[in-house]
Amino acid sequence: MQPPSATIEVLLFAALREQAGWARRRLPLKEPCTPLQCWKDLQLGGDTLPTEIRVAINQRFAAADTPLIAGDELAFLPPISGG
Amino acid sequence: MDNNSGIALDLALCQQDFDPHALLSSWEGNHRSAATAVFLGRMRDRSLAGETLLAMELEHYPGMCEAQLQELAMHHSSAHAVDAVLLRHRVGRVQPGEALVVLAVAAARRGPAQRCCQDLLEAVKHQAPFWKREITAAGRCHWVQGNTPL
Repeated sequence: MQPPSATIEVLLFAALREQAGWARRRLPLKEPCTPLQCWKDLQLGGDTLPTEIRVAINQRFAAADTPLIAGDELAFLPPISGG
Repeated sequence: MDNNSGIALDLALCQQDFDPHALLSSWEGNHRSAATAVFLGRMRDRSLAGETLLAMELEHYPGMCEAQLQELAMHHSSAHAVDAVLLRHRVGRVQPGEALVVLAVAAARRGPAQRCCQDLLEAVKHQAPFWKREITAAGRCHWVQGNTPL
């Protein structure tokens, strides 16, 4: 059981940020919590994570079913277009 | 900086326009490798849909982006056993014709230099969190979905 103050930070970028209308949000950590659960709770676009959206936890790519822990930085990344 | 394998990695994001040739000239003076492969990418003046472009905004994920560039450069430079890597990637607002990315790889022979340059460039385009937002001359803005074909 997490303490009441346990939170995670959620970041959105590029088109996802514009669609949602926010860039950064702190969420209370519910158990169990995964990126997919956060995606659904935040109503970012349906009950499944679109295949083109990637997840990063603490600035590293991660799977959508990775368990989150207090203090994690979770980011949803739309299709990358660098270079 | 040198990583553990002794390969010199010089990687950075640039907020402002830069002269890629002056950069390359200065970098090449730092080593004596026989072969150097270079990729220079500039902003296009037209979108893939044919619209005239006024500018582009390059967004990135601060922290993760730099870490990914470092990890990708270490991986590919080690895999190809090259001597040195130079990478500059623009972020922020870019004008048509300005350099977006410069990647140079120095090695003992052309094969490793060219293969590392191509592999690392493709890795950067697909694994480093950058996003392009094109601004057209007609005032429309749109996010570029994915990468252009090879």
